Amino acid sequence: MKRVLVALLLLACLPVVAHGQTVTLAAPSNVTAQDVPDDVGNQVALKWDLSPEDRADADGGRSVTGYVIYRRVVQTGDGLESGAETPSGSGVMAFADDFDYEANQPVGTVPYSVASFLDENVEGGVSYMYAVAATGPGDTFSTLAVTAMPVVPTMEYINQGKIWFLIIMLLISVVIIYFVFYAKRGGQIKVRPIAGLEAVTEAVGRSTEMGKPVLFVPGILDINDIQTVAGITVLSNVARTAAQYDAELKVPTARSLVMTTARETVEAAYLGEGRPDAYNEDNIYYLTDEQFGYTAGVQGVMVREKPAACFYMGAFYAESLILAETANSIGAIQVAGTAMPSQLPFFVAACDYTLIGEEFFAASAYLSNDPEQLGSLKGQDVGKVIAALLLVLGCLFATLSGIFRDSSTLQNVNGYITNNVLGEDGLVPEWMLAAELDQTQEAEQSAQPAGDGGGN
Amino acid sequence: MTNLDPDKIKVILATDCGSTTTKAILIQYVDGEYRQTHRGEAPTTVEKPFADVTMGVVNSVTEIAELAGRRLVGDDGRIISPATDTEGCDIYISTSSAGGGLQMMVAGVIAEMTAASAKRAALGAGSIVMDVIAANDGRRPHDQIQRIRDLRPDMILISGGTDGGTADKVVQISELVAPAKPQPRFGSDYSMPIIYAGNKDARESVSEVFSEGGFDLQIVDNLRPVLERENLGPARDKIHDIFLEHVMAQAPGYDKLMGWTGAPIMPTPGAVGDILQTVARLQDINVVGVDIGGATTDVFSVFDETFNRTVSANLGMSYSISNVCAEATMPNVLRWVPFDMNERELRNHVKNKMIRPTTIPQTREALMFEQAVAREALRLAYKQHKEFATTLKGVQQQRTVGDTFSQQTSGKTIVDNMALDLLVASGGVLSHAPRMHQTAMMLIDAFEPEGVTMLAKDSIFMMPHLGVLSSVHPKAAEQVFDRDCLVYLGTCVCAAGQPKPGKTCFKYELTGDRTASGEIVGGQMELLPLAEGESGTITLSPSRGIDLGEGPGKKVQRSVRGGTVGLILDGRGRPLELPEERAACQSTVQGWLDALDVYAEDKEPMAV
Repeated sequence: MKRVLVALLLLACLPVVAHGQTVTLAAPSNVTAQDVPDDVGNQVALKWDLSPEDRADADGGRSVTGYVIYRRVVQTGDGLESGAETPSGSGVMAFADDFDYEANQPVGTVPYSVASFLDENVEGGVSYMYAVAATGPGDTFSTLAVTAMPVVPTMEYINQGKIWFLIIMLLISVVIIYFVFYAKRGGQIKVRPIAGLEAVTEAVGRSTEMGKPVLFVPGILDINDIQTVAGITVLSNVARTAAQYDAELKVPTARSLVMTTARETVEAAYLGEGRPDAYNEDNIYYLTDEQFGYTAGVQGVMVREKPAACFYMGAFYAESLILAETANSIGAIQVAGTAMPSQLPFFVAACDYTLIGEEFFAASAYLSNDPEQLGSLKGQDVGKVIAALLLVLGCLFATLSGIFRDSSTLQNVNGYITNNVLGEDGLVPEWMLAAELDQTQEAEQSAQPAGDGGGN
Repeated sequence: MTNLDPDKIKVILATDCGSTTTKAILIQYVDGEYRQTHRGEAPTTVEKPFADVTMGVVNSVTEIAELAGRRLVGDDGRIISPATDTEGCDIYISTSSAGGGLQMMVAGVIAEMTAASAKRAALGAGSIVMDVIAANDGRRPHDQIQRIRDLRPDMILISGGTDGGTADKVVQISELVAPAKPQPRFGSDYSMPIIYAGNKDARESVSEVFSEGGFDLQIVDNLRPVLERENLGPARDKIHDIFLEHVMAQAPGYDKLMGWTGAPIMPTPGAVGDILQTVARLQDINVVGVDIGGATTDVFSVFDETFNRTVSANLGMSYSISNVCAEATMPNVLRWVPFDMNERELRNHVKNKMIRPTTIPQTREALMFEQAVAREALRLAYKQHKEFATTLKGVQQQRTVGDTFSQQTSGKTIVDNMALDLLVASGGVLSHAPRMHQTAMMLIDAFEPEGVTMLAKDSIFMMPHLGVLSSVHPKAAEQVFDRDCLVYLGTCVCAAGQPKPGKTCFKYELTGDRTASGEIVGGQMELLPLAEGESGTITLSPSRGIDLGEGPGKKVQRSVRGGTVGLILDGRGRPLELPEERAACQSTVQGWLDALDVYAEDKEPMAV
């Protein structure tokens, strides 16, 4: 009887939560909450030391199966901030001793052995306290481990992790602006001759001499594809030349919107050359959206009308070689331009001239000779040179640091290029941050003894 | 015209009736070979008050007869033919550029295709092309018609369309020409000759267009039957025929002259082209010839048996000298002069030369300035020639994946200085330079030959005569060309690439009649003695990046022929670049002139 009374007394002394959950587990410790840097102020990162009981038992079972994270808004001088989870918790600086684990909705849970949590649902400028409790089978909990200080998530205007991206972007922008103004002032920007575009007059001339039409195929994608847009730019030039030479231009399209755009482009070109009478809208027509239906239709035009010049400018897939081989068999001069890497070899082998990727997109600047476009083209080229230099430097230092592993300088440089310039570690190198951290910790240690994570 | 057995031709009399002078030469079979033995000159008499070209011919031939002690003109005033032991000639031949030569207008559908082929045919036949009309020449039809109306060509060549190609456009071109009713230069009752060398399917329509209005339409084979091939022969032959039958027949005295000649009279430039083609074919070499005159500069080239000729109408040494200075700009002219010159004086000198074209330099400075202008005129004319002498445009290309990053457009120049074997100069400023070294230096500076190139000049502008002779007796023409026509200046060895100043450009070793060895550094020129008649073998070891004919850095061995100048070694690199700064430029040019002994005052008189 006495033993029974002692047992009942011991049970009564155990901490018991409001709804009867048993608080039997050892709590995690050293809970810290930090505002995540370089964000818009909607994230708080939590870290803690695992509960001493967070380990596997001899039989493979676990006392701690996870951790629950609670959050509470801290009252400011003007009252409560929004975002309180429960009415009972609002405005309370600390978590109550009789904390109701069930009544309070946790902001998140993590499984055992995980000692961090990212709260992505906070509001910038609001003060938050966090508490973490270990949880186990049968609704057992530990006491709450609470952060020592409230945390206020804030929004940063510059993402320090992408500061190099900003620097390079600004540099290229400045270079582009410089070259645009340079070109506008009459400076000569040399664009290397693009054989495919130089050949436009030759191809249209051939058609004129042979009394055959010029066929322009603007790809099989719609007008929202950038390659189709680039193709239409080239079409404008082809149409101008055709108007000058009085050659017949035919443009079968696979999309209705492309047909409309092509019609307007060609009409403007003929008008610009003073030949509106030579423009025939029926020569720019829609065939079908179906890839191979369209291909068959274009092939039919080739075989029946035997154009002396064929242009393929836009996005192409499997039909590229079918079209190019058909036109080759009828003896046409062919000029292709696409940014589809898989189709380029076919075009190169089967066509007379091919605009490759960037050349295709540079065609607009090349053809218009507009200073803004030329300056932009030159600026982009400088950007590519910078990117190429970074790649070369990166490869060089990666190789050297792999060979000379003892050289801290090489390791630091390699790490800086990899993590800071190409990665997201910001402007300040890692080794410098580590040194600063060491100094801070030493200063703190010398000022006061380290405090615990708190708990109740 | 007579058909003689070439083996029986022993005495040849040839004349070239120029605008101002009629030049005659006598070629005789001496000691088993043909040699030019005597020459004579007399003023051309095509203009009034004489108005008979044969008078000048007879005068020049009479001079030869006196020199040769051989009676060539009979009592009836005609040239005696056939020859006997003491008088007459076996054949008399002649060229003519009197009265402005042959002037043509050409037309085609596309300027870079059939119109360019028509221009090549006309130029190759020795004509001056006054204008090229094409569907894409940027002019409105009424402007084109006005232009055709303003021109007074001797004949018009119309081409356009491949066989089976466009007919509409060709008819449209014809319909521009017909209503314009262009008037010929000579003869008011003379029907304008039109040569049609276009799409055969359009012949009927074109004939219909020219059926009225007083045109003499001649139809020949299409000069561009397919875009991949030119067929210029029929058009050129027809141009020659019309030149004789129509143009020459209208010029004073030519009808009589045509009765004397044993071969058709040819336009002078056409004959020069023929002899260069003959020599290039017989010796299997590439040749460039230049004739710089007072108003125009003709450039001829034969590369891989493809002949091209261009006439730079505004580049010359007297009438066009102002244009040369304007086009080349005065700083470019003055870069070749190794001392300071007063620009005002220079301008006065240029204008004086333009209004008094027959004056010659009286001082060393004036000579150097005039030769500097000649360098620029030749450079510009050669540049124009390179742009014209191209592969055919509008031709389908065959590609492989390997061509991904090296696609070349068609229409590239066929003029390759590295493949050039012989460079021939003629024209006053080149032929009559006080020292041959000056001629050689002008040629090297203007044409920038690469590798090993023989330099020569036409001693007495005999090439036109030999051009006609080549159509009758190619062997005689070649022998005289090699032995008497050309004065070999020597051989130049020029490094292509950009050698570093002061560093080794190439090493050389000469064996044969003379031996020498050494090295040439970047920017250096050197003259080795190798006299006329001497020859040798030179072994060249270029530095890395320097090409002397076998590729950058590769050893070269070539036979070299001496001349009046010698063997010139040029380590200046190509393209030739002179220092921008004036003082540095002057000292550099002076160094080159000294190295080649170009203006050696104590050796020969400077003024002529």
